[in-house]
Amino acid sequence: MKKFFVLLMTLIMSISLVACSSGSSATDSTPTDEVVDVEDITTLEAEITWWAFPTFTTVDGVSGKYEESLVAAFNEKYPNIKVNVEMIDFTNGPEKIVTAIQGNTAPDVLFDAPGRIIDYGRSGYLVSLNDLVEETGLLEDIANPNILEASSDGETYWMYPTSAAPFVMAVNKTALEKEGLFDLVPSEGDRTWTTDEFIELSKKMQEAGYYGVEIFAGGQGGDQGTRAFITNLTNANLMNADLSEYTLSEAAGVEALTLINDGVKAGWLAANTGGVANDALEHFTTPTNSTFWAVALWSPNLHSARQEELDASNIEAIAVTLPSKDGSPKLEYLVNGYAIFDNKDATKIAAAKEFVKFLSDDEVIGKQNVLATNCFPVRTSFGDLYEGDENMSYYASLTKYYGAYYNTVNGFGSMRPFWWGSLQAMIIDDMNPEEAAVYFDENANLTLDE
Amino acid sequence: MSPRLFLKFKGAYMSKKDNPIMSWYKKLSISQRQTVTAYLFLLPALIFFFTFVVTPILSGLFTSLFDYTTKKFEFIGFGNYVKLFSNTIFLKSLKNTVKLVVISVPIIVLFSLFASVVLYQKNAVVRSVFRGIFYLPVVTGTVAVVVVWKWMFDPYNGVLNYVLMKANLISEQIQWLGDKRFAMWAIIIILITTSVGQPIILYIAALGNLDTSQIEAAKIDGANEWQVFRHIKWPGIMPTTLYVVVITTINTFQCFSLIQLLTSGGPNYNTSTIMYLVYETAFKSPYRFGYANAMGVVLAIIIGLFSLIQFKLFQSDTE
Repeated sequence: MKKFFVLLMTLIMSISLVACSSGSSATDSTPTDEVVDVEDITTLEAEITWWAFPTFTTVDGVSGKYEESLVAAFNEKYPNIKVNVEMIDFTNGPEKIVTAIQGNTAPDVLFDAPGRIIDYGRSGYLVSLNDLVEETGLLEDIANPNILEASSDGETYWMYPTSAAPFVMAVNKTALEKEGLFDLVPSEGDRTWTTDEFIELSKKMQEAGYYGVEIFAGGQGGDQGTRAFITNLTNANLMNADLSEYTLSEAAGVEALTLINDGVKAGWLAANTGGVANDALEHFTTPTNSTFWAVALWSPNLHSARQEELDASNIEAIAVTLPSKDGSPKLEYLVNGYAIFDNKDATKIAAAKEFVKFLSDDEVIGKQNVLATNCFPVRTSFGDLYEGDENMSYYASLTKYYGAYYNTVNGFGSMRPFWWGSLQAMIIDDMNPEEAAVYFDENANLTLDE
Repeated sequence: MSPRLFLKFKGAYMSKKDNPIMSWYKKLSISQRQTVTAYLFLLPALIFFFTFVVTPILSGLFTSLFDYTTKKFEFIGFGNYVKLFSNTIFLKSLKNTVKLVVISVPIIVLFSLFASVVLYQKNAVVRSVFRGIFYLPVVTGTVAVVVVWKWMFDPYNGVLNYVLMKANLISEQIQWLGDKRFAMWAIIIILITTSVGQPIILYIAALGNLDTSQIEAAKIDGANEWQVFRHIKWPGIMPTTLYVVVITTINTFQCFSLIQLLTSGGPNYNTSTIMYLVYETAFKSPYRFGYANAMGVVLAIIIGLFSLIQFKLFQSDTE
């Protein structure tokens, strides 16, 4: 009997580790339409919670200190709205949000990117921001219509965008100059180049003892970098024009994967099937045993965040566009913005909207926040915030190369494991390039119906 | 009159004497009163147990019968379970989990036993030093341990490849965590280093508690070291062995954080375990909670079966 009891307890303890989700579902959720009627909105009384990923530059190296200062500034204008700030990280934050949603403890305001936000919106957890977008004149003031497209699911604006920046690649100018090969890098105008030019330089740097672009495939961190880098090599399209189907297994996609596989095997590309973008960035900025002459993921905010490491390593990094077959790349881009959860409390929703407006559009705070993300304002009325900064002017000039924003398609999050999974399978020779492309398409297309 | 002598019942104050609960209690026999009192003492723990253990279990079992995501909650009976056994990734993860258990549990138990036998008769200082060394990875946070290992395993900047290349043992970098030939072994090595601490402490304590007169008598009768170990020490530490084997097996079956932090189940699901897959299924879009719970139930059944076999195998020796 005792043994039976011990076994029963073992079974119970094992199940308990994995069975801890509540029974609520999105279908119960009905957005709140109630209107809060106050004469002066600044007198509104409420307590709201703001969850933020560490996107803003930190103050004194303390996470959350900048965000607290924003709340203090907000409270000068809205003294009766208490805002509780909670910082979440990119590793566990997404799971924390999902857990909070299931436990009906979601925050009121979230500062994030469209990939996740649109998914929450589609699932019925967010408040429509159509009224906010219209009321603040964002539609007429937007710098690039692609950004608005990225903030909605085609019908409803779920995210209120504030800043954006392109993803490019970076090269180690110091190493290239040392080897006398910097003249092979496009350093004028838009700094575009062809795949052939890139391969030629890669092989020369390999001969000089450097590692090439690292194809990281160990997880989803920064996987947009490998997607854009690989597809641009042959001008392949990850998705068709109306974003209704993944098309990597078309001839150009297979050709791109073949090129990657050949490059890795020949050694002019470096493979890291156990690493993510952060590893590749670290290898590029802080070389110890090996020096990489280029990295496939770079942006103005990454440049700023990594500048200290680059200085310590005596490396001058410069941004260039991704190499493409015809020299005209399609770039991915980052959009930062706010979402408001529908926590069934009209007063909180009204307070959250005021808070979002303040953070995004306030004459002083709005611009300050864009600068704190090291990105570019989505509003034309904000003007050139980086006047005289040649580096930032270059990043700003790349808007014309922005490609289709597919991060908001249905099942985007589910597609990502198949992307790096197929890359891994190809590099470790579990699949050939064509099989990897077909595997990706077949599985990724299923995610569109989620 | 002191208010503490009164209890409020149906809106009116009454003395202890009139209270129906007290009256009922007084009618009980002494043994019944003792039982009731014991259960009352257990009540706080039981409330926690039912709230944080039993309720999630029932919830997990219940929701495993549903197509439960952030978008829907539809009853599908045993649909999740049927789907599981045609899911190649689940079957691969199951195979990896069993492989992890079958390889690492015997190594952990044998190494712990070996280290304990060597250490338990050393002087107190040496024993404490080695206990500290072996227990250090257990008390150090998993994340800290994994960060150090990940740095060592880094194919380009890691110390492991650097040393092997300098010693001319390898000519090109090994992708320790990204190559299917090495990834699972890398996980096993870390798992062993973080798992031997507790068994060693337990074995040293168990060996120290053995009756020395039996050992001395056996030696006087001419028994060699192996015979002493096989016929006196081994039976004496059998209950500890049973505990160590069962707990190590359960912990290894539930290996999750190492996988999540080191390989995310890769390369190509070659290090994915069921626990990792449960997490990936539940907390990565499209958040299939019901399906993940079904995996959890299957894992629990497998652990239960393994534990049953271990109990049966060690049963005769422990009784």
